[in-house]
Amino acid sequence: MENCRILNRIVEINIANVKYADIELSGNTCFVGTNNFGKTSLQRAILFFYSANSRGLGISASQKSFEEHYFRYENSYLVYEIATEEQNFMVMVYRHNKIVFRFIDAPFNPDFFFNSNDEAMKIKDIISGIEKRGIYISNQIDTFERYRNIIYGTETDKQLSKFHLLKGNEKYQNIPKSITNVFLSSKSSIDSRFIKDFIANSLTTESSSIRLEQVERQLRQFNEKYTDIETYLKKESQQLIELIDKKYDQVHMLKGAQMEMADKLGSSLRFAESQNEAIREAAKKKEEELTEISNAYEELKFNIENRQNNLREEIGYYDRSIREANKKLKEYKDKNIDEAVEKHAEREKLMVELNIARREYESLTSNVANIELKFSSLIEQLRNDKTAFINRINSKIGETFNHYNELQLLQKNEFSKKESELKQKREEATEAVNAEVTARQIEFNSLKSDEKVIRSTRHYENEIKSLESELNELRGVSYKNKSERAIKQNMVHTIQREWEALELKLKNSLSNRVNQTNNEIQKVKLEITEIENKLNVQNDAFYGYLEKNVKNWHQNIGKVVNEKLLFRTDLTPEMKEGATETLYGISLNLEPVELVSKSIEEYQFEKNEKLAQIRDLEDALNQFQTANTEEKMLAADKFGKQLGELKEDVKVLSYSLELADKREKKLADELEDWKIRAGKEVEESLSGNRQRLNIIEEELAILNKKKNAVLSDFNTQLERLKSYNDERLSELKEKQETEIADLEVEKKNRVKEFEKKEEDLTSEKENNFKSKGVDAKQLKEVEGRLKELQDALQEIEQFSQIISDYQKDKREIFDKLPDFIQKKEEFVNSNNALSAEVEEASRKFNMKRIELNKEKRAFDEELIAFNNGINFYSNNFRETPVYTKFADIIERAEPKRTNHNIMDLCTQLLKNDSHFNEEYGAFQRYVNEFAGKFRIDNHFNFVIRNDASQGEYERFAQNLRSFINENKIDLSIAETATQIGLVTDSIATKVKELSGQKDKIQHIIGLIAEDFKKAEFEESKLIEFIKIRLEESDNKVYRLLKRIQEFREENGMVYNEGLFNTDFATGMKREISGKAVKLLEQLRSAIKEQEQEEIRLQDLFELKFNIKEGMNETGWTHRIDSIGSTGTDILVKAIIYITLLHVFIKESSHRSSKDFKVHCIIDEVGQISAHYLRELLRFAKNRNIMMINGLPNKSGLESHYKYTYQFRREDNNNVRIFPSIVTEVEA
Amino acid sequence: MSAEDFNLPRQTHEIFAVMARGNFISSNGSRDGMNRLYDVINNPENFDRLQAYFNVIRFNIERGNNYFYFSKLGEPNSELEKKLERFERYIDIIDLLASMDNKITIGSRFRPTEIAEECNANVRLKQKLQKIPLYRSETLHNKVREICELMSRDSFLELEDEKTESYKVLDSYTYLLDIINAVAIYEDTGSSGDSTQGLIYN
Repeated sequence: MENCRILNRIVEINIANVKYADIELSGNTCFVGTNNFGKTSLQRAILFFYSANSRGLGISASQKSFEEHYFRYENSYLVYEIATEEQNFMVMVYRHNKIVFRFIDAPFNPDFFFNSNDEAMKIKDIISGIEKRGIYISNQIDTFERYRNIIYGTETDKQLSKFHLLKGNEKYQNIPKSITNVFLSSKSSIDSRFIKDFIANSLTTESSSIRLEQVERQLRQFNEKYTDIETYLKKESQQLIELIDKKYDQVHMLKGAQMEMADKLGSSLRFAESQNEAIREAAKKKEEELTEISNAYEELKFNIENRQNNLREEIGYYDRSIREANKKLKEYKDKNIDEAVEKHAEREKLMVELNIARREYESLTSNVANIELKFSSLIEQLRNDKTAFINRINSKIGETFNHYNELQLLQKNEFSKKESELKQKREEATEAVNAEVTARQIEFNSLKSDEKVIRSTRHYENEIKSLESELNELRGVSYKNKSERAIKQNMVHTIQREWEALELKLKNSLSNRVNQTNNEIQKVKLEITEIENKLNVQNDAFYGYLEKNVKNWHQNIGKVVNEKLLFRTDLTPEMKEGATETLYGISLNLEPVELVSKSIEEYQFEKNEKLAQIRDLEDALNQFQTANTEEKMLAADKFGKQLGELKEDVKVLSYSLELADKREKKLADELEDWKIRAGKEVEESLSGNRQRLNIIEEELAILNKKKNAVLSDFNTQLERLKSYNDERLSELKEKQETEIADLEVEKKNRVKEFEKKEEDLTSEKENNFKSKGVDAKQLKEVEGRLKELQDALQEIEQFSQIISDYQKDKREIFDKLPDFIQKKEEFVNSNNALSAEVEEASRKFNMKRIELNKEKRAFDEELIAFNNGINFYSNNFRETPVYTKFADIIERAEPKRTNHNIMDLCTQLLKNDSHFNEEYGAFQRYVNEFAGKFRIDNHFNFVIRNDASQGEYERFAQNLRSFINENKIDLSIAETATQIGLVTDSIATKVKELSGQKDKIQHIIGLIAEDFKKAEFEESKLIEFIKIRLEESDNKVYRLLKRIQEFREENGMVYNEGLFNTDFATGMKREISGKAVKLLEQLRSAIKEQEQEEIRLQDLFELKFNIKEGMNETGWTHRIDSIGSTGTDILVKAIIYITLLHVFIKESSHRSSKDFKVHCIIDEVGQISAHYLRELLRFAKNRNIMMINGLPNKSGLESHYKYTYQFRREDNNNVRIFPSIVTEVEA
Repeated sequence: MSAEDFNLPRQTHEIFAVMARGNFISSNGSRDGMNRLYDVINNPENFDRLQAYFNVIRFNIERGNNYFYFSKLGEPNSELEKKLERFERYIDIIDLLASMDNKITIGSRFRPTEIAEECNANVRLKQKLQKIPLYRSETLHNKVREICELMSRDSFLELEDEKTESYKVLDSYTYLLDIINAVAIYEDTGSSGDSTQGLIYN
């Protein structure tokens, strides 16, 4: 029975190659055996007792696992017996799928495990056997953790709590770790790194390192995002975005236009195909209609012209009659016909007067009848002679007169004949010209009426009307769209303001929270510093004194002393006999008084709590920040989406307005075009008309000229004829007059002679009468009167012929003249009416003809245009890639009349396609250039394949637009800013956590150094001293990590706001952010460069040794390759290990638990000298540590151990372990 | 005397190492922090200092559209001729790349297999590719790869992903296009009477 707790024995039943082995371990133990005989396996089995970790036993991956190697059989058992101050107990380890433990409250007894045949029993039988014996056997302990808790005395189950090896504190895990580390260290050289690892591994868990891979990943992710954002924000990228946006619109518009045009083309084609026959029919119908109205017009015209000809003849007749009457009337007037008629009216009166005068004369001469008779007969005779002569002369005159008159008449007749001939000719000539003039005039009039018709015709009325209505409709829609856009723009502004307000609110709340948390942290930090100060000084302060010298002081002094006093170092406390339990000699009952003082653990605990509080605050801040960012993101998502949608709507509206504007302009142009075309059409028609009119005018002028020339020619001829006639007549008249004058002279002379003879006879008569008494005077008077009357009658007789002619003409012609004029006028009026009728008919006919012609021409033109279009489409468009591109649209289009012809549409499509290709090329170039600026796996997903389709390029642009509209860059920046915060925060937390353990290291190193000092090296004089000290780490990555942590603490968590912040006011923050980014970048490069997987506790410091052995001093160094001989090296190493183990065990076990021993397992100590071994064992023993070592063979060294076991391989390959009989020299 | 003494950026050596080899520094290059180097040179303050610094050793920084390169001050004509000779082979290469259905432009990403496949499917392109004088000519794919490697070496392309063999066209590609555009072809109508064609570099 030991007086302390120790692993007393280990029993192997069917473990690996060992069937059974019972090894005592209550003192220094040594295993002797050649390699591969199972020494190390056994040592591992011992180590497993301490570590209970099947993975930390130094079994390489290529080897079988602990479970597989050790517990091969159903009845494989490892039994550990632990000696205690009272009864020993044991731990049974077996495999029940996995390794499990059971605690048995009894020392090891082989009967528990073997049956009568010496065969190991199954676990059920063993348990039932033990239970039958009334021995307590625990339930199955399934986890290593629980097993360790029990063994190291932290188990709370009362039934199990007694099965402990020692009472560990919260750091008890360091004990198995330390034991394991010692076992696993196989290097012979002393390397501070190893020691560092040892200490660090003992202090840390696997998770307390900083995994650089993880950090690097975080940094890479941050860096990538940062680079992406930086690239995005570059001026060139922004310019490219603008260009892409613009080009996309253009391309979109062009594509839309092309599609629209393709649809029109399709519609036109379908329409042309369906309308071809109908148009032919319609054109034919128009032609027939035209022939019909032409015939009707011709017939009407013929009839009217016939009637007009008749009328013209009548007019000509009456015209001639009137002209002749007027001429005769004029001739009569020239002959003083009125006077002659007047005189002729007095003829009857004169005849009566003459008869009276004759009767008066006869009465007077009745007395002298004979004389009278004689003289009268003589006078009568004379008179008769005279009358005969006069008559003869007169007849001669008459003959001459008549002869010449006849000649004149002949001449006149001749003249009149020639004149009428000429006139006839003139009439004929002028009639031909007039007919021509009339024809031209008719044509002229018809053209004039055509012009009127053309001017009043509205060409392309349908097209113009449809365009006008389309324009009106378009303007209406534009107006609606404009107002809608204005509304949406207002909404955009409102939402933006709302968003900005919310962001400001979030920012303020974050900033407030950050300030508040920082203040709180600062406050807690101060408290921590206070605690730390207390902890630092406690050793030298009153507190330390009480801890060392006064048992349970907390229960008395602790209740009454001021806390400040406890940590004063200037009190120099001193223990006085007899004054205990009193306060300056006064005894107090402190039972009811509350405890005031705190233990170091409580301070430590308080400090940890404060640290946890800081962490909680930071976590809360982080959470708040994350929540803030999330809220921000939600807002961005909500508002961004709304804004995006609205902006998209605005853009769509703007685009449609732009399109509408263009369309309006185009339609206006088209309308103008149609109007111009209509105008041109009119002008063209008019110009044809005008030309014809001008020609006709000219022809009319020529005809008039010709007519005038003919007339003047004839007039000249007539003039000539007339003058010749006049000359001839005057000549004849002259001759007539001359001859008549000659005859008149002869007549006069002879009449004078007769009158003389008559006078003579009369005077003779008178003389006779006088002589006979007759009144001669009265007689003479009567005779004078008779003569006068006879002369007057003679004169009247002279006009009798002309008067009779006149009266005849008057009766026949002159009196009818008014009738003639009236009739002529009537005929002229009728003729005019007919002309007007013809003109009206012509106008109507022309109008109808023009209209029909126009319609027919339109049909013909349409047909030609259709056919040309279809031909052009088949020959020049159908085979092009443009057709292929729009084939679907073209083929699916509905037949519809459009304002465009097929040829134009084809040409325009081809032309536009080339423009589209140019624009699209530019668009693609911009997209490629933009996407090329980013990493291939950028987090914005701005990637485009080189062989991307048009759709993909367009989607890219759309996504880019949404990206901008939804302001995703801000989200990304916020995310990245949060990320940098989180990354630095995570680094800072990890570094802080890790650095927090540095104190422990410092503490441990202090203890080790102390322990080294305590070592009694001087006695052996082998090693003069071993010194150890800590230095700052030179690990570049750690330094950077540390800098980041410092930076984080210095600047808090607000610096991420400055990321990409261009606001001058927050420029400072930007500078801080810049530094943060730079630091992270440096860290990333350092990690890459250093190729280290993790930063562990051991990377936080450097450990240096200084060892002096004999005359050799190594000086402060990391690594001591060789201090002296190999044995010395092993010794030093073992000493260091034992020291470490001792320190850790001391640190990790409860103060009250002192009576226990543990094993230090160091394999292969064969090269150590006996002297050294003895030294070593003693060094260990002084620290309650039992050594378990391996030796390759017996060399005398085994004599220094309490137990020595040998290993032997038997024929069946089993290994037998048996105790060697040796005498312990010294232990 | 170090770069810092002249208040030069700390990447000066790196910049020199790239450009003195006759390579370009493009803004959209990402390997070896090329875009960072571009940003460093593009900073007006740095540019003036670097220009002054390099001018001392008779190098002049030339600025292209989003790229930089060195030209030598007072370079002899023989060197220029050599450069032109070296450039000649790019004429056929650019011709080929510009004739592709999916045009290769700045920022385009492509794999040699894609080009080789297109060349294989298109006789005209195949002829163009075969016309380019290169050492490895067993398969079209190898030829295209060789072209890509050459252009990559001359820093007109960048091998962005080695696994997928994906290349990116750098901004310096503009340099090639600019030179090509500056070439005017004239027909020799001189007294010799033959109709050989020549090149004029504007």
